[in-house]
Amino acid sequence: MIGASISRWTMTYFAAALAWLFVALFMMVVGVGYPTADIASPDTLVLVHVTCIGWLSLAMCGALFQFVPVLVAKPLFAEKWALPALALLSVGLLSLLGGFLSLDGRLPTAFWSLPLGAVLLVAGFGLVVVDLGLTAWLRPTGPARFVLVGLACLGVTVVFGSFFAFALSGWAGSFGDTVLASGIPLHAIAGLGGWLTLTAMGVSYRLLAMFMLAPDVDDRQSRVTLAMGAMAVTFAVAGGALAIGLAAGLPIVLSIAALLGLVCAGLYGRDVAGIFRNRKRRQLELNMRMATLSFASLAGAALLGVALVFFDGFTPHVGAFAFLAVFGWLSGLVLAKLYKIVAFLTWLETYGPVMGRAPTPRVQDLVAENRATKWFVVYYAAVWLGTVALLAGEPTAFRVAAAAMTVGVVGIVHEIVRIRRLCDVASPLRLPAGAVPPHLLFARN
Amino acid sequence: MTDYIDVDVRPILRAGGEPFSVIMSALQGLEPGQGLRLYATFKPIPLFAVMEKKGFAHAEQALGGGEWEVLFTPGEPRPEEVAAAGSSFDNWPAPAVTLDNRDLDPPEPMIRILAEADKLGPGETLSAFLRREPVFLFPQLEKRGFRWLGGFTPEGATYELTVRAPS
Repeated sequence: MIGASISRWTMTYFAAALAWLFVALFMMVVGVGYPTADIASPDTLVLVHVTCIGWLSLAMCGALFQFVPVLVAKPLFAEKWALPALALLSVGLLSLLGGFLSLDGRLPTAFWSLPLGAVLLVAGFGLVVVDLGLTAWLRPTGPARFVLVGLACLGVTVVFGSFFAFALSGWAGSFGDTVLASGIPLHAIAGLGGWLTLTAMGVSYRLLAMFMLAPDVDDRQSRVTLAMGAMAVTFAVAGGALAIGLAAGLPIVLSIAALLGLVCAGLYGRDVAGIFRNRKRRQLELNMRMATLSFASLAGAALLGVALVFFDGFTPHVGAFAFLAVFGWLSGLVLAKLYKIVAFLTWLETYGPVMGRAPTPRVQDLVAENRATKWFVVYYAAVWLGTVALLAGEPTAFRVAAAAMTVGVVGIVHEIVRIRRLCDVASPLRLPAGAVPPHLLFARN
Repeated sequence: MTDYIDVDVRPILRAGGEPFSVIMSALQGLEPGQGLRLYATFKPIPLFAVMEKKGFAHAEQALGGGEWEVLFTPGEPRPEEVAAAGSSFDNWPAPAVTLDNRDLDPPEPMIRILAEADKLGPGETLSAFLRREPVFLFPQLEKRGFRWLGGFTPEGATYELTVRAPS
């Protein structure tokens, strides 16, 4: 069949991802991990992996299971792998977190926990990469190419991570120890820069064009953006690995990669500005207005990075930089797009079967944007305050900001649940004859 | 070594015509074991599924300037599917309705197509112009038993879709 049906487990991934986001917010509010603890402490490792695997990666995988088939107009290679992959990723993450906590004796020492977590995560992400990769490969144009590069970066990230897990358990020999000693920046760059950022960019090209009724970005133009991003990550990872092997030159390699990354971010900004300029839908929906705050956060993170390097403060303030990139740019974008994606998929699932046969509501009838706007504003303002608090070295102010972020996210999630339950659709349009209300946690496709 | 019959539908497409009937009649003229070499001004992705159902594998190659050469090679015949596909894809009548949905906000184009499609008589067709490939529409059409054909016009800005009601 040609075309894209509704992905059955995307809502399940979103729900699991949001649950992990609450875990991460709770940790920041009560002061577990950075900045209360050292940035390399086991507590911080738990916080970072809850955020990057639990929240961002699961949300991204859920979105990709739906949107890669849209990008290539072909069904998923194997829809039935999605749920086992989610189970493997969830159990793998729990095992990994248990392993981190046993590093400083918070849990009974369990040397097998980290490697077991790594193996399960490799299996889970392996299913995702093969499934999405084989699907995207069918028509590797424009955005689908970003996804392919992102998936390759996910593979690299997971390989590095597995090395660390085995090395921390003392099972990887002296080579593993060397990789562990200096490879962490490469793991982070491949994960945040390659997998999450490049994939988010690729998906955003299509989502922005689709929801704003704009022509797609010219393939040649987006190809240059992708090439810069891919070169930045490749240079950082391959050059960095070589530098570690030679025990010299890592800062130079990372500086060049950062420059390439800046060029990529600049080109992406140009591409996105073009989509906004050429849109036919003049009135911007909430998800677009909020996405602009994410783009501002990405630009802010880039400027902050440059400023920190210029004033020789990057290493002590890397936490603030990463926080702004992860919560301002990536998490903000994912939350804004979740708001629209859930509304669109819920609308399609509920009203698709009766469309044209009975009057149906518009997608916008499912959302209450005025109510939702304030929660997004609270969230972004809190993220920016939190960044300032980290830069100023004020852990208490940071915890207050994290509490405000939690308030914003609770509000946003409440709105998303209302969308899924069709709470804001007035009768009699709400359920015309033949329409079935959707399940909260999965789609009946 | 498969022997291929050449079918060049580029002139028809450039003139704004519908090449499907030409392709289908060339297909009916093939000897057993013969393949089809198609020249088109866009990659005819919707045709791939149709040809697959008729038992032809495809291999496409970009010729530059947006033009494509596609080799359809016969594989193992699947008699029952060939018959089913043959009866439903041949001799499509001229569209009973033509919709220009290019300036509608999504998902309005999809709603209009489904509403109009439901009004078609048995075997009738409708044609619609769209801005993008309606990927979410296809499963809905399939569930309702409609067949469709579609592709981007040569300049790439318009997607032309033809939908046929079950007969």
